[in-house]
Amino acid sequence: MYLDTIELWTKSYNEYTVITPQVREILAKSRLQNGMLTVVTKHTTTGITINEALECLESDIAAFLDRLVPEDYPYSHARMLRDYGSTAGNATGHLKAHITGNHCHFPVINGELAAGGAQEVYFCEFDGPAHRIINVTIQGE
Amino acid sequence: MFIDMHVHPAFYEPINADPQMEELRHETLDIHKNGTARLEHIFNQMQCAGLDRLCLLPEDYSTQQNGTVLVSNQEIRDLVDLAPDKFIGFASVDPHDVKATEKLEHAFSQLKLSGLKLHPGRQHFYPYDEVVRPLYEVCEKYDKPIVFHSGISWEPDTLTKYSRPAAFEELAAARPKLRICLAHFGWPWCREVAMLMLKFPNVYTDTGALYFDSAREFYTQMLTKDVPLTWIDRSLRHQVMFGSNNPRFEQIRMAQALENMAFRDSTLELIRGQNAIDFLGGIPEGGGKL
Repeated sequence: MYLDTIELWTKSYNEYTVITPQVREILAKSRLQNGMLTVVTKHTTTGITINEALECLESDIAAFLDRLVPEDYPYSHARMLRDYGSTAGNATGHLKAHITGNHCHFPVINGELAAGGAQEVYFCEFDGPAHRIINVTIQGE
Repeated sequence: MFIDMHVHPAFYEPINADPQMEELRHETLDIHKNGTARLEHIFNQMQCAGLDRLCLLPEDYSTQQNGTVLVSNQEIRDLVDLAPDKFIGFASVDPHDVKATEKLEHAFSQLKLSGLKLHPGRQHFYPYDEVVRPLYEVCEKYDKPIVFHSGISWEPDTLTKYSRPAAFEELAAARPKLRICLAHFGWPWCREVAMLMLKFPNVYTDTGALYFDSAREFYTQMLTKDVPLTWIDRSLRHQVMFGSNNPRFEQIRMAQALENMAFRDSTLELIRGQNAIDFLGGIPEGGGKL
C-alpha cells in the first residue's frame, strides 16, 4: 500500500477546498497503475465528499448543511471536556462531518484516477480555522 | 478596535521548539490534544473572530517548578516582536521568587511589556499578602495594570480560596491608582466582581469564562442573569473587557456570542476595545516594539 498526506491550514470556520490536484499528484508519485485509491480525513469535524466544483453548488451545500445543523441549538456537545481541558463547542462540526462522511474511493486504471468529468474531491472544513491532515492511500500494483 | 484581553500563547509554535517544554506546558495547564499553532493560524483565528489585537499573558510558577518559567517574559517579548501590530505583551513573575521585583522592573523597563499577570490560585498567595505588595509598587511606578486570575481555575494545583473576588477588596481599596482586572468575571462569584467594580473604578473584569454550555448559552447566563445585563449596560460599562482565555475557551464563538448580547452599541464598543485601551493606559505603538 502507498500512503501519502495532504496538509492544509484552513482559514475560515466553514470552507470547501477542492483537493483533486493534490490527490492526482500523489497518485502520480506512487507510480501505481491499477488499484483503488482512498482519501480519508484524519479529523472528526471535517468531511471528504465528491461533487461538481461550482461556486453555486458550494453555496447550496453550505446552506443545506446549515439548515440541517443550525449553530443556535442546544447541543449536548457543549461542555468542558476533561481529556482536553477545554470547551467543546463544535457540535455542528461533528454533525456536518457525520453527514458528508470522512472519505471517498476511486478506482485507479492505467495510472489515472477513474473519475467522472464533473467529479472533484472536496475537503470540507466545519470547525476552522485549523491545521488539517488528509491521508491518501493507494492499494494496487 | 476589538481586543481580546486574555490570551495564553503557551502553544504558539515560535516558542515551542523544545518538545519537553511543550509537554510541561500541556501538563501544567492541563490543556491537551491541541498541538501547537503557527502564527498564521492565530491570525486566521483573529480574522474569523473579528479581532484586531490579542493581549498575551505568560505564566511564571518557577518556585514550584524547579526554577523553570512556563512561559517567560522574554518569550512574550519575542512573540510581540513577530507581530507588533497584533500582539500586546504582559509580564509574569512568581511572587515567591526573591528576585520577583527585579524581574518585573526588567520586564517593564527593558522588555517594555504592558502589564503584569498574576494567578493567586496557582501561585498560592492572597491578593494583599506582604509577599506580593512590592510588585504593586513596581506597577504603580511604571503605571502598569495587573490582570489577576479570579474565580475557579481549571489548572492543577490551584486553590480557589486565593482567587475569590472578595479577597481583592483590600487591595482595590488600598491602591486606588492601581488598575486591576479580576479576570474571568470571577466566575462563579460574578456578583462579587460586580460589587467591587461598583465600589472601585480601578477594578475591571474580562469575559473569559465558558465553563458550561455553549458560548451563547453561557454568556446569556453570566451577562444577563448572574449579572443582569442592565447592571453592565448602565453602571459597569466602562469596566468590562472582552477576554476569551484562549486556548482553554473558544475565541471565535465567544466573540460572536458577545455581539449577540443586547448591549447598547456604545456599550459593546467599550467592551470590545475602549475599556481595554483605558485599562492598558493606551496601546503602545507597534506593540511597544523595541
